[in-house]
Amino acid sequence: MPSVAGALFRITATLRTRAALGLRPVTAPVMLFLPLGAVLGPSGANILSSAALGHLDVVISVVLATLGVFIGIAAGTQRGASVGRLMTASTVEAAVTILSVGGATYVLLRAWEMPSAITYTLVALTLGLCASASAAPSVDDSSDQTRRVAARVADLDDVLPIVLGGVALSLIGSGDRMVLLDVALSIGLGLAIAASGWLLFELSEGAERDVFVLGTLALLGGAAAYLETSPLLAGLSAGWLWAQAPGQTERVVATHLRKVQHPLVVILLITAGASLQPSVAGVWLFAPYLVFRTVGKLTGGWLASRLAPGVAPSDLGAYLIPPGVIGIAFALNVLQVASTPALPLVFAVSAGAVVSEMLAVIVTPAPRPV
Amino acid sequence: MRQLFALALTIAVVWFVVAGTGIVPNDPRLTALALGFCLIAAALSGELLERFGLPRVTGYLMFGMVCGPYVLNIITRPMARELQLINGLAVVLIAFIAGLEMNIERLRPRLRAMLQLGGISMLGLYIGLFGTFWLTWSWLGLGVDVSLIQKAAIVGVLTTVVASYSPTVTIALITESRASGPLSELTLAVVILADLLLILMFTLVVQFVRYAFGGTGEIGLFVSLSWEIFGSFAFGAGVGALFAFYLRYVGREVAVALVAVCAIIAGVGSQLHIEPLLAALAAGLVVENIAPPRGDMLKEAAERGALPVLVVFFAAAGASLQLDALAVIGWVAIAVSAVRMALIWGSMKVGAKYARIDPAVGDKVWMGMVSQAGVTLGLTLIIAGEYPTWGSRVQTLVVSLIALHQFVGPVLFRAALSRAGEIGKMDAETADV
Repeated sequence: MPSVAGALFRITATLRTRAALGLRPVTAPVMLFLPLGAVLGPSGANILSSAALGHLDVVISVVLATLGVFIGIAAGTQRGASVGRLMTASTVEAAVTILSVGGATYVLLRAWEMPSAITYTLVALTLGLCASASAAPSVDDSSDQTRRVAARVADLDDVLPIVLGGVALSLIGSGDRMVLLDVALSIGLGLAIAASGWLLFELSEGAERDVFVLGTLALLGGAAAYLETSPLLAGLSAGWLWAQAPGQTERVVATHLRKVQHPLVVILLITAGASLQPSVAGVWLFAPYLVFRTVGKLTGGWLASRLAPGVAPSDLGAYLIPPGVIGIAFALNVLQVASTPALPLVFAVSAGAVVSEMLAVIVTPAPRPV
Repeated sequence: MRQLFALALTIAVVWFVVAGTGIVPNDPRLTALALGFCLIAAALSGELLERFGLPRVTGYLMFGMVCGPYVLNIITRPMARELQLINGLAVVLIAFIAGLEMNIERLRPRLRAMLQLGGISMLGLYIGLFGTFWLTWSWLGLGVDVSLIQKAAIVGVLTTVVASYSPTVTIALITESRASGPLSELTLAVVILADLLLILMFTLVVQFVRYAFGGTGEIGLFVSLSWEIFGSFAFGAGVGALFAFYLRYVGREVAVALVAVCAIIAGVGSQLHIEPLLAALAAGLVVENIAPPRGDMLKEAAERGALPVLVVFFAAAGASLQLDALAVIGWVAIAVSAVRMALIWGSMKVGAKYARIDPAVGDKVWMGMVSQAGVTLGLTLIIAGEYPTWGSRVQTLVVSLIALHQFVGPVLFRAALSRAGEIGKMDAETADV
């Protein structure tokens, strides 16, 4: 018994030390709320029944749009001479991960001849897009250069998957509209609703401003969901416009979003957890997803570091391994459109996110002296 | 000007999405769109009307009515139905805020007068309405071939439903206009008292109706009545105590915790067959009177959280107003409404005099009693479901009355609050603290 206690103490002491060195804490939201959702969901205790999940679908559309706005603002407010290079670096890193996961999944699916209601190409593309998003590491005054650059790359590497996600959703959806029209519709809706928000936010204050911000987010998510286009893309366009528009709109929105950020992420993760239905297909997709995502992130990070200024090539990819919630959000968006056939994708992406977070505890580098 | 432009842009986007694309999606996907549209456009409409001295809630209602299925049809019938989902949560939050505003210590000196006013005015209203409906029976068109006892039962039901007030609208208007003072407190106390009486009276009258129409009365109904009143208070008090404990020892994410508490009361309440309004009121009372939180974090969270809920609640009510019912039975409804208002005015006047309430306040209380809303409609639905022949006629009449009173009531009450100089006093009190 003492030896077990001693071992536990050593492990926790190691984790504490490594956390103090800048490692991500083991209790990332993904690791806490996904399993909680799984326990509460229909496959678990059924406290969150299928009917309740149906109602949460409404909230998910709004959460997706909100996440899009976050990324749009983060991408739109990047300033400085290196923005172009950082954008290119992020796009390269995301593209490498998409190719790595998507390509490997496609080849394996064909080799396994796995039955799937969604075409192999779209399964591969969806998994690639989910894999390419990264969580931005937190940055403070003591953070080193690589960590700062990694945070910006992680903000920007969500842009490509969200744009391509609009295309993928259109292809998966049963509508007979043209893909480009769907993408244009998402962007157009986002910009029009953002313009309306821009006219309102700065003139209002207090609870009234809360109403307008909340209404704008609901409208972004609702309009996109109604048309079966991408709420993430609509939100991204809106966030980008607010960042470019004259005045302080993006600050107003960001301040309000910070208040609802945690609850929204919790709802998203619990819903994703509750939607999990373990299946053979899901487990088979999970393994290559995890392996090739890690490979893609490390390779992509290494390539991106060639374009990003002053970054240790070995570190950038490791910083980008934590997946955050965008990948899970996109998987849920696909589930909204494709319904049951997308369940293995949600399982693979969610399980992959949990394991990637665990992996991040080990591989995220300690900070270098500033 | 910017706001008008934003309103036009929002309406154009939603019109394009709903009408322009011609897509008929699954119902749940409508909710977020309808919510977003209501939040922005109804809030702007409310603000616009406030500039003309009218209550914001009237603006929200008018927005819902104009954009609803009967006029522009931008909020389609399925969208209006989806918006109703938020009603349960809204009623609970509104009642919780009312509970927070009721400090027993402060109300104690006036409690006797409030009870006297409430009791006398309700008695006068019930007797007056019963007599009126009895005498005008043939004009109401509720059925010719009924026995005397059946007539008494139907008139009893109609009296009970028509006499009801709307605590939700009263509380919403006080919250929205940031009113505070003797008139606000007195009106709030009387409508809540009347709501308790309504539950009691309705249960008794339904028993009588069942007896009159050959059914068997249920002793279980009295048990369920007791459960509905006392169970609601007990459940709400328990939830309130837990919430107070959370506020004291955790005190984080108060707005989210508040919404969660309201969702629990609304969701679990319907499962347990308790009255959510009473339960939420009890929860608010416990938090305010037994374990008040330190600082203003709860009131701030409740007030900030209340506005979006109020906007959607009233816009949904406006979109769901059955204007066709008003068209069918319009003149009868207007006549009944006029009689009801006159009786409220008279009985309140007598009650206020008997209770020795300052005439400056007592003369205006009746103006806060005109509104009617969801609870009234819910009761008529029960009757219409059980007795489709005359019950649906009662329903049409009551729905028309609600349509009228939802517009007249808030305007009158705001005017009363304004004359009493209580609008905006809540902010002044907070500043003083």
